[in-house]
Amino acid sequence: MSWFGSGILTGLRITMRNMLRGPITVQYPHEKLEIPERARWAVEMKPDEDGNHKCTGCLACEKACPDFIIKIDVTTAEDRSKHIDRWHYELGACMMCGLCVEACPFDAIRMGHDYELARTDVAELQYDLLTDVAAAQPKRKAAAERPAGAERPAPVAAPEAAAAEAEVEPQKGGEQS
Amino acid sequence: MNVYLVALLRILAALGLMLLNGVVLIYMLRKVLGYLHVRLGPMELGPHGVFQTLADVLKLLTKEDPTPTHVDRALYFLAPGIVFVPSLMAYAAIPFTGTWVIADLELGLLYTFAIMSLLPLGLVAAGWASANKWSLIGGMRSVAQQVSYEVPLLMAALPPVMIAGSLNLTDIARAQSAVWFWLPCLPAFLLFIVAGLVEANQTPFDMSEAESELVAGFATEYASMKFGLLFLSEFSNTFIFSSLLVTLFLGGWQVPFVPVDALGGWAAVVFLIKVYLVIFVLMWIRGTLPRVRIDQLLAMGWKVLLPASIVWVMLTGAAVKLWPMVFGGVQ
Repeated sequence: MSWFGSGILTGLRITMRNMLRGPITVQYPHEKLEIPERARWAVEMKPDEDGNHKCTGCLACEKACPDFIIKIDVTTAEDRSKHIDRWHYELGACMMCGLCVEACPFDAIRMGHDYELARTDVAELQYDLLTDVAAAQPKRKAAAERPAGAERPAPVAAPEAAAAEAEVEPQKGGEQS
Repeated sequence: MNVYLVALLRILAALGLMLLNGVVLIYMLRKVLGYLHVRLGPMELGPHGVFQTLADVLKLLTKEDPTPTHVDRALYFLAPGIVFVPSLMAYAAIPFTGTWVIADLELGLLYTFAIMSLLPLGLVAAGWASANKWSLIGGMRSVAQQVSYEVPLLMAALPPVMIAGSLNLTDIARAQSAVWFWLPCLPAFLLFIVAGLVEANQTPFDMSEAESELVAGFATEYASMKFGLLFLSEFSNTFIFSSLLVTLFLGGWQVPFVPVDALGGWAAVVFLIKVYLVIFVLMWIRGTLPRVRIDQLLAMGWKVLLPASIVWVMLTGAAVKLWPMVFGGVQ
């Protein structure tokens, strides 16, 4: 049915329907929507149950980053334990692809949910997620499976631990790919 | 009481009404358009943003008022006044109730139309004085559309006048105690709405300021309170047009099946409610329809609206004359 002027009435009906429909927008600073669980915003540390970071300083994320914006300065002590001097992350250049999170073999980082990342100064977009902390000990399957009485002295264990880590890592990578 | 004092108080009342109406209409416009577009409109200042207009007025008052270098200074400063004063004068003949009218003029309708037809003069003066081609185009358009639509508007207002037998707006409203004139004059009613939308510069026909083409048309070079006056006069014209529509076609201050004496002072409230309902419908139209082209507008004015209104005036004239002959003096 289209007689002269019916388009005007149709338009009026549509706008009135919109008017009676009520607001569909959110008053942003006052109200916020729950963002999806898999949303990817800034990279952040994923703490374990005790609230400690889980980064072992393996540099897998640094190697995976396509934008070269993760820089981890690691010092290895004489006993081969690692110390993270600085875990640097440049938010301003991050494209939030999440490859670093996928690359991490120890589930130590995640894409955060804080989306209010605007800053007034570019310099504030440089993040140090960790500074001057000891790297976490890699949690190996072998350590959990070993009988409690069969623990060996630490100095001897350290080189083996590194070897075990080297073995574990490719396996994990293989599972993911 | 002193005659001059009474006159002064009435003028001040009209001025107060005009300013208040401006404040209310700006808020209403933003809210209504917002909701029509599934938005919320202003929300920050006060509950649901009711103080937004207040803030806007303060902003307009305190704003810097630069004058472009090449303007025609006399006209540039005069134009907002030329626009503002007729808008204020037009309140004189509007009957809010049977007794509440600033000046009960025998030729009230004619007076209102005469005053309103001064408006394009101010608009073209503003457009010309701004020394800006967009402003000039806006001013010329306003003259073209408002002058050409004045004729159908007046023609559409004639049928109620013929039925009521008076040009006094109070009498016309009073004559609708039995039936509101929109029913027997339905085509005239529709023609009046369309022509009135053009006269009030409302959106489907707001070619003279056409935001997306001409920035703000004749108002482009105006800032601060000079712009405020132009704006205020526009809102005031909407109010005037709506009150004319209510008076001519929608029974003025009367409510069906309620005797006028029972209403008392509430009659003015009834009148204002009707006026703002009409304004709401205008905003509804504004929020719905896109702007037409200027040539389409003028073609419609001269080729459709004018002949249609003339035909309807002739039909009404014949009916008014024939009715007593056929039904023996019922009228």
